[in-house]
Amino acid sequence: MSGRRTVYEIYWEILVYCKTPRSFTAIINRCDLNSKTGQEYIAFLAAKGYLSLVTEEEKARYLSTPAAAEYIALFSSLYQKLFDTGPGFRL
Amino acid sequence: MMNPALIRFKTEIANFYRISLINLVFAALAIAYGISYIITAVLGSPLGLQAVLLRLVTGAAALACFGLGLSWLLSTLRIFEGVETIRDALSASGEEVSEERLTCLIVRMLAHYRDNRDTIRTMILVSTAGGCVFFVLSITSGIRALSLTANSGSATFESLVLLPSMLLTLGIALVSLISSYYFSRFAGLWDRRLHEIGESECTLKKTLERDEA
Repeated sequence: MSGRRTVYEIYWEILVYCKTPRSFTAIINRCDLNSKTGQEYIAFLAAKGYLSLVTEEEKARYLSTPAAAEYIALFSSLYQKLFDTGPGFRL
Repeated sequence: MMNPALIRFKTEIANFYRISLINLVFAALAIAYGISYIITAVLGSPLGLQAVLLRLVTGAAALACFGLGLSWLLSTLRIFEGVETIRDALSASGEEVSEERLTCLIVRMLAHYRDNRDTIRTMILVSTAGGCVFFVLSITSGIRALSLTANSGSATFESLVLLPSMLLTLGIALVSLISSYYFSRFAGLWDRRLHEIGESECTLKKTLERDEA
């Protein structure tokens, strides 16, 4: 996904994408990040215990931890709530 | 049962897609009409001072229409492409869209809106200005048709030809003003959503920065 996103949207995207083990390159490509900012986001999520490093076929991969589920669920409910309240766009 | 947020999101995207599509068609028509009026104003046969003055006003308005139409078309194209991609992704997902997929599409739409917020604001201004200029153009066409009829004492072929063109120009003016209204409503709605997201960031931050105990 590209375009102007908030940091919380990028964190959500990384965590959802890493529900199955992903390499660093795959994450930054998918989330349209450069390696420096990608490293920062991943390091933050790993430090907070939302991402864990696993080894698959001798390659390092990132995997979302069960703790990430809480953030993912809260994020989804907050964003879907945007369409629950107030008037919609009608013709 | 389908998620109410999904129903609303789908409806909004479909409506905005329609508005963008109508805008594209009418922006192209605006350009074509601008060009045709410029040619008529430049190549028309001289009919006296009053007619020349009227032709000058028409030519200037047509030139403005051409510029506004071009600007209108380019702005709409950018918005349209983004909305079309999201609409296609929604259609490809079918009736059963997972929570994750829906959230992903909402985030994409928000990113698209953030990227094009200024363009949408410009479009609102361009559509309003375009509507006003086309309105002037349709009035001048009407006056020309009336003056031709008055000069000859009856409705001539030329004055009859001017009538449908005047009605189409009036139609473009109306669509332009209506689309400006809808774009304002759309922008207002998504601005409110961006504001709500800003408010909920505090909750997200608290959840994300939990202390590992």
